[in-house]
Amino acid sequence: MHKKVLSIVVALMATLIFALEPGETELEHNGWFRYTNQSSGLKLLDPSISRFSLERGYLRFSHQWTAKFFTKMTVDIFSSDKYPDGATVRLKEAFADLTLPLPDFNLTAGLQKHYFGLIYSWDYTHPEKSLADDQGVCASADYGVTVNGFLPNGLGELQLGIYNGEGYKYAGKYVNLSPELLANLRLTPFAGLALGASVFTNASDYSPYKNDKKGRTGTGTNIVFMNADTTNKNRLAIAPMVKIAFGPFSLTGEYIGYNYTRWFSYYKINFDSVGQIIDSTLTEKTKKYAFSGIDLVPTLVLLKRRVEVFGRFSTWERKEQHDDSMVVNKDKSFIRYGAGFNYHFARREKGKPGLEFQFAWTRTQFKNTEIKPNDSFLAQVRFEWNTIITKQQ
Amino acid sequence: MKKILSLITLVAMSTMLIAKEVVVKGSDTMLNLTQRLAEAFAAVQPDVLVSVSGGGSGVGINAIINREVDIANASRKIKSKEISSARANGVQPTEIVIALDGLAVIVNANNRVEKLTIDQIGAIYRGEITNWSQLGGANKKIVLYGRQPNSGTFVFFREMVVKGEYASHMIQMNGNSQIVEGVKADEGGIGYVGLGYIHDVNGVKPLSVAQKAEGPFISPGDVASVKRGDYPLTRPLYQYTNGKPKGAIRNFIQFELSSAGQKIVEEAGFVPVTENYIERNRTVLE
Repeated sequence: MHKKVLSIVVALMATLIFALEPGETELEHNGWFRYTNQSSGLKLLDPSISRFSLERGYLRFSHQWTAKFFTKMTVDIFSSDKYPDGATVRLKEAFADLTLPLPDFNLTAGLQKHYFGLIYSWDYTHPEKSLADDQGVCASADYGVTVNGFLPNGLGELQLGIYNGEGYKYAGKYVNLSPELLANLRLTPFAGLALGASVFTNASDYSPYKNDKKGRTGTGTNIVFMNADTTNKNRLAIAPMVKIAFGPFSLTGEYIGYNYTRWFSYYKINFDSVGQIIDSTLTEKTKKYAFSGIDLVPTLVLLKRRVEVFGRFSTWERKEQHDDSMVVNKDKSFIRYGAGFNYHFARREKGKPGLEFQFAWTRTQFKNTEIKPNDSFLAQVRFEWNTIITKQQ
Repeated sequence: MKKILSLITLVAMSTMLIAKEVVVKGSDTMLNLTQRLAEAFAAVQPDVLVSVSGGGSGVGINAIINREVDIANASRKIKSKEISSARANGVQPTEIVIALDGLAVIVNANNRVEKLTIDQIGAIYRGEITNWSQLGGANKKIVLYGRQPNSGTFVFFREMVVKGEYASHMIQMNGNSQIVEGVKADEGGIGYVGLGYIHDVNGVKPLSVAQKAEGPFISPGDVASVKRGDYPLTRPLYQYTNGKPKGAIRNFIQFELSSAGQKIVEEAGFVPVTENYIERNRTVLE
């Protein structure tokens, strides 16, 4: 595995060397070394998860070709138990960005930010994912084309996009004739207030099929063959957001509403009395799902931005169709709360994290009270740097 | 124990002596000027320490967005994107113009060329005119010196003069002084720098510049023309604060805009603010 990773990095570096002119090239690395301890009912010494990992190992290559044309590629080299060498590499961003004649607006094509709710501006002050990301509403990046930019006089930002709608992990395997359409507006009418809303719709998402049972199930004369074409259709998600900032205090929040209809099919094998297959019948079914949740993150910045103290409160409710009614799945609906802090040993020039220690505790309490609350402790060293390579100085 | 107590008292007293600090960061063009203003201000209000650093306009503006500084120096106007980020952070960027700058186009002192139009300079920096002989000069290849993209001067010059892309062979320098040194040592060189950087400098000369071929060609040294806005490459130099400046920050800015402050502006090779900017500043400060 490491040879594969190395060869990709070397290839990327080689591309860089031949791409220096005429503007700047930026090389960036984000490394997140994390310890996670997860247990039911605060059993730190008897955890279900206790591990060190490199949660993120982004390598970013950005190149400003001209004032109007910019390209970027990000690969993530991170720890993964799925591979024998304990690490893998994945493509996280790869896009070309063209400045439009409209002031402050760009056309971006490729694997890029998914401008939904808080997910695209989530800066990991809280080291865990945004709610939409965490609950699989959408991924933080997706393949698509967007028009994105800023309104005059600092009034806010606007993005319109068309995406695969399946996230960065899926591309090209399936025919996708119902791409995702997305709109996002965020307004900053005055200092201390940002409010906005996002919506995406009309995308089929093939990604959940991996989580479904497929292939042969059952025994004897009761055998069912699941069809792999399980698809979530008629997806619709909305996410209004707000950020209030006053001095060192800020409160960021969003509401997420998400629903879809899951379409799936299976073959029921019909046997005769001696166990010989007579025929099979294809059955198609649909089932509606509806999700909703809120996420609130209050943050206090102290000691000249060296320290951030944060809290978090989230709710998530999952409803599933049973006959004609929607029923709450209490096993997968929860309230989550927690707190933590960040200590910045060093920041980069534009205020971004440089060397930072993060700690967060999170408790998840399921609506099914028979399930014990889940406690997660996370300690992370975040080390990030960038360098700008100019033609000559 | 007594020693420790007296040490603590000493530290406390020294802290009280410099009770307030005003942190200024940003434009390299404005660095020397703001440092001189800060030094003069120290004589007026010794209990305030004004610390000034450079890094470029973009760096300064980012610092005010992140509440890291009290004043951002910028040789370009703040962008819409930056205002939006600032507001989301609870910061209201407030703009003050402390001086005007005529951007000087300089060549080596031995270069025969004395004047150029904006179109000619643009063509030079786009890489369309490549030899001084095409402009009445010696048969010598033109070597372009310019700033880096994080510089407000880079952006201003691109928008006002280049009106397209800089030629790929332009040599990007860290600051104004480096451009002056580069052109001084290069007979084929051409560069653009803030007025303050050609003050009393030998080895380079500023070109007279005109909007049109028929003129008038104006030298950036002609302060009256720069002040009237007749010189084609005149630009305001900005400072940004979070909301209306108050206390020591306000005192420092008011000193910059006072006749004593504006005299330093002039001595540093820049141009004092004109009536329309004085009026705008008054609205902000009141």
